[in-house]
Amino acid sequence: MKIKHSLSRWVASLLIAAPMVAFAAAVPGEKAPAFSEVDAAGKTHSLDDYAGKWLVIEWFNKDCPYVKKHYGSGNMQSLQEKYTGEGIEWLTVISSAKGKQGYLEPAEAMDVAKNHNLNASAPFLLDADGSMGRAFGAKTTPHMFIINPEGKVVYAGAIDDNDSANPAVIPKSTNYVATALDASMSGEAIPVASSRAYGCSVKY
Amino acid sequence: MIARRLAALLLTLVSFLLCGPVTVFAQETATGDHVRVRWLAPETFAAGEPATIGFYFEVDPEWHVYWRNAGDSGAAPRFDLNIAGAETGEILWPFPKRLPIEHLTNLGYEGNVAYLLPLTPDTGAREIVLEANLEWLVCKVDCIPGFGTLRLERSVVGREVWDPADRDLVARFLARVPGAESSSPWRATELAEEGEQVVLTLQGRGERQDFPQVFPLDGGLLTAAAPEVERLDGEVVYRFQRVPGASPVRAAGFVVSDGARAWSLENVPFGQLTESPAQSLWLLVLAAFAGGVILNLMPCVFPVLSIKVFGLINSGAGHRLREALLYGAGVLATFAALGALLLLLRAGGAAIGWGFQLQSAPVVLALIALFWLMALSFSGLFEFGQRLMNLAGSSRGGSFATGVLAVFVAAPCTGPFMGAALGAAAVLPAVSAMAIFLALGAGLAAPFLLLCASPPLLRRLPQPGPWMDKLRQFLAFPLYLTVIWLLWVLGRLLGEDGWLIGSLLLVALVFAIWLGRTISRGGRIVGYSFSALALVVAFSALQLREGKAPVAGTGIWAPFDPVAITDAREQGRGVFIDYTAAWCITCQVNKKLVLDLPEIQDVFQRNNVYLVRADWTDHNPEITRALAELGRNSVPVYAWYAPGASRPELLPQILQESMITGLFEDSSRQPKEDDKP
Repeated sequence: MKIKHSLSRWVASLLIAAPMVAFAAAVPGEKAPAFSEVDAAGKTHSLDDYAGKWLVIEWFNKDCPYVKKHYGSGNMQSLQEKYTGEGIEWLTVISSAKGKQGYLEPAEAMDVAKNHNLNASAPFLLDADGSMGRAFGAKTTPHMFIINPEGKVVYAGAIDDNDSANPAVIPKSTNYVATALDASMSGEAIPVASSRAYGCSVKY
Repeated sequence: MIARRLAALLLTLVSFLLCGPVTVFAQETATGDHVRVRWLAPETFAAGEPATIGFYFEVDPEWHVYWRNAGDSGAAPRFDLNIAGAETGEILWPFPKRLPIEHLTNLGYEGNVAYLLPLTPDTGAREIVLEANLEWLVCKVDCIPGFGTLRLERSVVGREVWDPADRDLVARFLARVPGAESSSPWRATELAEEGEQVVLTLQGRGERQDFPQVFPLDGGLLTAAAPEVERLDGEVVYRFQRVPGASPVRAAGFVVSDGARAWSLENVPFGQLTESPAQSLWLLVLAAFAGGVILNLMPCVFPVLSIKVFGLINSGAGHRLREALLYGAGVLATFAALGALLLLLRAGGAAIGWGFQLQSAPVVLALIALFWLMALSFSGLFEFGQRLMNLAGSSRGGSFATGVLAVFVAAPCTGPFMGAALGAAAVLPAVSAMAIFLALGAGLAAPFLLLCASPPLLRRLPQPGPWMDKLRQFLAFPLYLTVIWLLWVLGRLLGEDGWLIGSLLLVALVFAIWLGRTISRGGRIVGYSFSALALVVAFSALQLREGKAPVAGTGIWAPFDPVAITDAREQGRGVFIDYTAAWCITCQVNKKLVLDLPEIQDVFQRNNVYLVRADWTDHNPEITRALAELGRNSVPVYAWYAPGASRPELLPQILQESMITGLFEDSSRQPKEDDKP
């Protein structure tokens, strides 16, 4: 009887937990999911390492046209340069699985970081098993997240408001990440905390 | 060899001349990886006439392009337009399909698609020049953006000249562009936020039994993944996942689609949208009450009630009131029971209309026997009246029974009066439907209650006297007419056997009465036994006959959909449209006796006929329009479009099997011959 009871409770909790796992995501206003990933240079980064700091996380796939839009134009690198210069941390993650578009071995990743003029806080984080991407609910490249010093997600979504693949539209677009960071630095509320993340699907 | 070259050169020259300058041709298409884009536009525009042109995306198999809300990833195409000589409207987006791509869901199109653009030439313009800078994204799993510029130069002349294939393409995709909310067969009744879910409740107008696909317009608010769908008593509930952290909004837009067409619900505010349904519910309840009052005057109800009232004139006020209340209780209880039955059957998936008692042969036969006996009694053939009044007049059960009887008697009369309210009741939520039933009942009971409760009114009724007998005898005639009508219904239900069984029973009952009055001793017992025997025989004969009656199968009948009908006709199929309504008894009878017979269904199937049941129970405006086009404003209407025929043939309102089989006697061999080559 008792075994039966506890078994049913266990099954019930599994049933409740299953969708929670499936829908796990970095949601604005909630705590960021924990992660621990190794970068192309072999250094491990975890959420705890960034406690007390502002952190931007960016999903990357070198062959995605939307990533190319922001890297080919230099837009992403200049954002990285500007905000890391203000003491904000910036991690760029590759969640492409081995054999899928955008997957990079560590050595290749170092080369790509170099020829893309990556200005992030670390070389690419290599999440080939997709664990970090799934924990964050990263759907597209480039999907952007901002985490505040308390470890809470304050922005999740697209980099800007224009889902064109044409780099020519960048100057006319409103950059959500820059707007959110500028507002936070000056102690104001973030005007847009969530948007539809446009781009290519993450190749898990 | 030389000759062939020469021929090729000539051909090229000729095609140059035919196609016009090659430069224009080149500007009219744009090509990218896996995509080719071209105009769908007329060769000339008509001055001042609005036109719809299109950007036709021919996409490689398995690749797709996107809807206005691309979904979880991807991007809608962009159209940057420069136009001279015309006014353009907004891009029209045909409704999309959900495309699951790995862990995401996108909204887009499999295969080719036309994005449409409405355009009206400026007055006085002689030429239209349209330049479109396009950007699109084409995806399989990986995505490839494409860019291109299309240029269109067309003269504006007296009339629009189209390439027929292109015009058909525009028409095909225009039919898939969401229509106005007012014409939607579904309307939103509630939009609510429940945690990370956004819950949309839709209600079908009319008897829509299927449920539509729903696509959110705002990808920033709702994910594109298919919502959980739950059907609840005439309503469909869709649970969408919110985009995590999306900021709260006041309203959301959706497109609903039945798979062939779509409608847009542009601006559904959050909260319960009770105002208009509640208002219309009150109107319906009022209409039902008024209809119930009118029912008192129906020839099938009035005689019963007037006799009842006269029976009560001499009794005391307290007694009268009690009788009146009992009568009202009988009416309401019967309506409640019938309503519950209707709801139960509806829940069982059977959408049925009101007069359904009259679709059951035993019920009809029982009513025939009852009215016949009452009519005979009114005529003075025997004192059944006294007995009935003893039963229905003095005892409590009597008044209650009169109430029950009144409802059953009234039901056939409700059809023409209350069609709309009952049609609504057939699809409304249970509580509203029951409210309408009870309002009908209250209306039916009200005059009788009023008469009994208010002595001044009752005193105005004439004093009983010999005139009452005359009146009673007179009132027998509507009852005889009712018997004939019911016999007709039985005949429609069962064919000639129905008439035979019904009228034999009538004679047997008269004979039983004669026996009872003629045989001096024990005559009454003989009479009762004989009538009981006659009833048993009649009902078992009925059972036997009805066993052979066909089971109605409605699965093969497609709901009314002009697009599907046009498609079927274009494919060269014959189309048979049954314009019907649940409250139309002739329609039900035709259905049961002809259309749904296995033999007839066989004939339809052999000839590959597209069968359409246009249900007008709720006076669906589209069906009203289709009926008007046929020059009709009532049902039944049976329209037959022979394969390839441009005009329908209308069949008589009372169908016979031979009329249907006759349709195929000339043409039945043709399809087979066509199949051979």
